[in-house]
Amino acid sequence: MFPTEEQHALREMARDLFAAASPPKRLRALWDGEDRGRDVWKRLADAGLTGLTVPQEHGGGGGGFREVVLVLGEAGYAALPEPLLETVAVGVPLLTEIARLAEETPGGAWAHGWLERIAAGDAIVTVQLGGAPYVVDADVADLLLTEIEGSLFALTDFGAEPVVTEDRARRLFDAHAIVDSRSAVTHRPAILEPARDRGAVGTAALQTGIARRLLDTTVEYARTRQQFGQPIGAFQAVQHQLADVHVALTAAGGAVWHAAGAIDDDGPDRAHAAAVAKAAANDAASLANRVALQLHGGIGFTWEHDLHLWLKRGLALQQAYGSAREHRRRIAADLFDEESR
Amino acid sequence: MDPPLTSAHVAFRDEARAWLADHVPDLPPPGSPEAFEQHVSWERELHEAGFQALHWPEEYGGRGADVVTQAIFEEEYVRADGPDRVTVLGTNLLAPTLFAHGTDAQRQRWLPDILAARTIWSQGFSEPDAGSDLASLRTRAERDGDDLVVNGQKIWTSYGAYADWIFALVRTSNFSAPRADSTPDGPTKHAGITFVAIDLRSDGVEVRPIIQLDGHAGFSEVFFTDVRVPIDQVIGEIDDGWPVAMTTLAAERDAPAAPPARYERDLRDLIDIARAVGLDTDDVVRDRIAGLHVRVECYRHQAAATVATLAAGGSLGDGASVTKLLWSELERDLYAFGLELLGAHGEVLDDRAPLRDVAGWHSRYWYARAATIYAGTSEIQRNILARRVLALPKA
Repeated sequence: MFPTEEQHALREMARDLFAAASPPKRLRALWDGEDRGRDVWKRLADAGLTGLTVPQEHGGGGGGFREVVLVLGEAGYAALPEPLLETVAVGVPLLTEIARLAEETPGGAWAHGWLERIAAGDAIVTVQLGGAPYVVDADVADLLLTEIEGSLFALTDFGAEPVVTEDRARRLFDAHAIVDSRSAVTHRPAILEPARDRGAVGTAALQTGIARRLLDTTVEYARTRQQFGQPIGAFQAVQHQLADVHVALTAAGGAVWHAAGAIDDDGPDRAHAAAVAKAAANDAASLANRVALQLHGGIGFTWEHDLHLWLKRGLALQQAYGSAREHRRRIAADLFDEESR
Repeated sequence: MDPPLTSAHVAFRDEARAWLADHVPDLPPPGSPEAFEQHVSWERELHEAGFQALHWPEEYGGRGADVVTQAIFEEEYVRADGPDRVTVLGTNLLAPTLFAHGTDAQRQRWLPDILAARTIWSQGFSEPDAGSDLASLRTRAERDGDDLVVNGQKIWTSYGAYADWIFALVRTSNFSAPRADSTPDGPTKHAGITFVAIDLRSDGVEVRPIIQLDGHAGFSEVFFTDVRVPIDQVIGEIDDGWPVAMTTLAAERDAPAAPPARYERDLRDLIDIARAVGLDTDDVVRDRIAGLHVRVECYRHQAAATVATLAAGGSLGDGASVTKLLWSELERDLYAFGLELLGAHGEVLDDRAPLRDVAGWHSRYWYARAATIYAGTSEIQRNILARRVLALPKA
């Protein structure tokens, strides 16, 4: 039930790669409007990360969702702006399922081709599920998988209208303004629900990574920042807030890891575990967010300090793939309405 | 249970489940002499069936069970609504301490009676001015020939009124209470403490029950006036009892003390309350209960991780503070929400209320309020996490 040695090594590799390839300096350049380019994406591909979940016969690593949440935890820690969640956690499993279904009908080669391109780092995928009003990273995506009335459509030729976002490194596009020539790739809603769960758990993993970064940064600040002749981290009122973040983060981490396992094993509690993970991660991330800014004091409220890069990424992900309220609503239905179980 | 179970685990689970279903009695809380005796009888029955002290080595009458087996039993025990066990201080805290620090003679002398629920042990760590600040204890013991002569007072002694023996910390060094200016974690304060077992029927021992705010006589004060304790009842070395006490505390901390099944049951009760008062379709109530369910689930995963860590031969160390905070604050909030749901009925203890056992819910509510105090307060747990896990500086 713990990460294996291989999984540990994967996480370490991802951490080092993200820190080197996308330091805060790059995030700030993106905030200033710089184009992302494909350099970083190529480095991710060379390290096997874009193909992490692509089946081995299509040139990928054949990794499961446990590997995905470990990598996404590190992506959150670095506030990596690349759409790994959309491509690796949601897009690839959808394409793999489409390819599998297509073997029963003509046209499976289409999805195989995409999987190979993704593994090679030549294609970026974005997704729009469950009526989400905005699509992330439509500007860099080569393929948009969009859910409309229970069917999934694959779009390669589309235009999208950007919207102004709080986190300028997380770029959103108005889903209603997408211009395309669409064609349905599947009418099977059965593959969409697991995809939404993957999105929720992947987002939860990103959030725990962001929360961990906020905790580490704030602990470091509290160790060094002096007031009343001692580091503020020596004050119990400060210590207890940071301890609470650690507790919430540990709890959410367990829920995310369990949900990843339920996805890998396609367990009967997959959807429920995903809702629990997203709700717990939201709670932990919002606590980390609040405590980090509170303890940084005035300097944390400035534009020049890097803290807000993580505060805003954290805030953005509170709503992605369902707010805590929406997930608790789903959980309540499981608890109270026995027939829905 | 989340960890993969072997066929032996599954067989054990089935055996325990079947036996408990046939044997678990419905007992009142052990807060009166009659009720306490009923609890002791029940635990003798547990022992005869081979379910007491599963984790003890076989040579001392246990099953030498692994932590997964233990956790399985605790889960099944809760699912079967098993009564609180009054022998836990002996089986779960003193026994591991004796395994680590006791002599063969001490083990032979005390363990069989603990196992068979023939002697009940209590714990004498807390004092009126030394609760969380354990090392500032003032109960003194002076060497006189082959005896220690003990003077002082212990408090918050669980089951003290009904126990036969107490394991206690006493100060034996030349200096008495620590000076006010000594450093909290400094070596001087921890030196000169001795871990000793005392027969509560010795001359000079006086036990006064303390009535709890819920009306039960759960704990007591114990006074020692020139109590003579044979030196062979010292566990570990004289003046070097601190590491022995740490073994006891580690056993308390690492024991899977709060089976997640308990909170799953409590949450089902909460849902029953919501139905009983007609609030099961109220969006706010559903949101709050879903939030508590998220915490129950997180605790379940934390408990599973704990079992897996222990099963792999590890120890939780300071990370155990996370576990303690999760379950104690969860149960506090869960029962409080139950009372909120009962509304005006929440004040009433008789059968008029819409809940099957509203007095029982109240009782659990108050006991949950103690959960953030005993076994290390929430404040102490946060201090441990801040200092030792997050490495924040000392004041």
